Amino acid sequence: MAAPFRPCDHCPKPAVVHNTVIVDGKVTELHLCEEHAAAAGIQLPGHAPIHQLLGQLAQVGAVRPRGPACPECGHTFNDFKSTGLLGCAACYQAFTSTVAPVIERAQGGATEHVGRTPARSDDSRQRAALLQQLVRELEQAVAAEQYERAAQLRDRIQELRPAAPGAEGVR
Amino acid sequence: MTDATAGDRDVVMSCRVRLARNVAGFPFVGRATHPQRREVLETIRAAAGNDEASIGLAGGRVGADAAERLAWIELASLPKRDRQLLWERHLISRQFAEGDSPRAVAITPDERFSMMVNEEDHLRLQVLRQGNQLREAFDAAMRVEAALSSRLDFSFHERWGYLTACPTNVGCGIRIGVMVHLRALRVTNEIERVKRAAKELHLAVRGFHGEGTDAAGDWFQISNQRTLGVTESGLLEEFAGRIVPAVVAYEREARRVLLDKQRTLLEDRVFRGISLLRSARLLGLDEAMKQLSSVRLGACMGLLPDVSLDTLNRLTIQLQSAHLRAQDQSIEGDDDERAARARVARAALGEWP
Repeated sequence: MAAPFRPCDHCPKPAVVHNTVIVDGKVTELHLCEEHAAAAGIQLPGHAPIHQLLGQLAQVGAVRPRGPACPECGHTFNDFKSTGLLGCAACYQAFTSTVAPVIERAQGGATEHVGRTPARSDDSRQRAALLQQLVRELEQAVAAEQYERAAQLRDRIQELRPAAPGAEGVR
Repeated sequence: MTDATAGDRDVVMSCRVRLARNVAGFPFVGRATHPQRREVLETIRAAAGNDEASIGLAGGRVGADAAERLAWIELASLPKRDRQLLWERHLISRQFAEGDSPRAVAITPDERFSMMVNEEDHLRLQVLRQGNQLREAFDAAMRVEAALSSRLDFSFHERWGYLTACPTNVGCGIRIGVMVHLRALRVTNEIERVKRAAKELHLAVRGFHGEGTDAAGDWFQISNQRTLGVTESGLLEEFAGRIVPAVVAYEREARRVLLDKQRTLLEDRVFRGISLLRSARLLGLDEAMKQLSSVRLGACMGLLPDVSLDTLNRLTIQLQSAHLRAQDQSIEGDDDERAARARVARAALGEWP
């Protein structure tokens, strides 16, 4: 998939390296063309001699591509920054260090929910987590064209999904 | 208490209680694929069912013996004009009216309850009441929430409460709001003070059509911004017990001052307004709303005994573009629309000459 055109931070050439780096606790975006990436000591995979690639492996963790991403839905930090929206419930955990101050600022310093809680029990919360897990596995199975497994997962998901009204009695 | 002030109708046009929820196990709407959005829609539709009883709403209404059906409207297959119609009636947001992804709105026949599925959050429900009936609206919203949460797992976090796509809406996920008509405060130039005071109280002040709209013709929506660290009933008490009475009293005081000190100016605005609406042959929307505002002020203050508040409230909706076009299929250009708007206004208020 082609990334949208974005010029290098130092010249008009298209950037081929997009990194989000954390310097002194501040998140900064880095967009570099091939030359400037090389000048900055960042080698593109396939271009780099093996010893440099090995050297880069040691740095993994310090520099992450496209900013940190939510392990659940793939929403990146950049996605959050550009839309102001999160991708899924797990994003709250994945981006907690950024999201927590945003919430507290918007909420006049409040840090904790004190209102009503879901009518359904903890049991249902565990079920929700399992459901989430199964949905993720289903997506992976479909992507990998494992249709038999996908069908099994779909059946289990349907069993776990909430019933239509009437099934539990309308109150 | 005169009729005009019953339920604070002289100042409070309507009130709303809205709730945002997301269904656990799905990405939020912005991140969800179209098939996932379709699944969210079907899941919520199955949980909500097709009538008021299944969402905990039946029985509360005078004159309704049986539960009414809930109309489910798919936005993607709806003509543009009808989408705008729903928006003009405050049943959907502008953002929701646009685009082609799977989404729907469920509406009761009296339009006092509506529920958008796949707006920014999976579920955005609203209970709407005329005048100041916040407590009743609040109770109805809580009943619907209880009914739905007995069949749906909503995304919930021990610390942040109900999770929303935009992190600033977490917690109760509730918005309590009133649409107020602050014509006199506008005339006396005190609107900015109201806005500043509102900001200090963590309230949002928006225009007739909510977020991003200008306050056309002196109507303002005031709603809470804080949703975390406060309980639902605490917010209701603050709103119904403190904020709304304060705003209403402030506007009434400004009206009293106008009547005492600037009666000629007041009468001039009101009588010009009614003359214009009764005589105009071409009427733009902005002008119509502006004159309706003056006329409404006059009607509330007893200067126009033959004009009813209900008529004026209805006109604020009926004179909007899509409503005119839905009534009269022959409207094509802007001039047709302005002529139709003038006709509807004259018919409702009494034509002169």
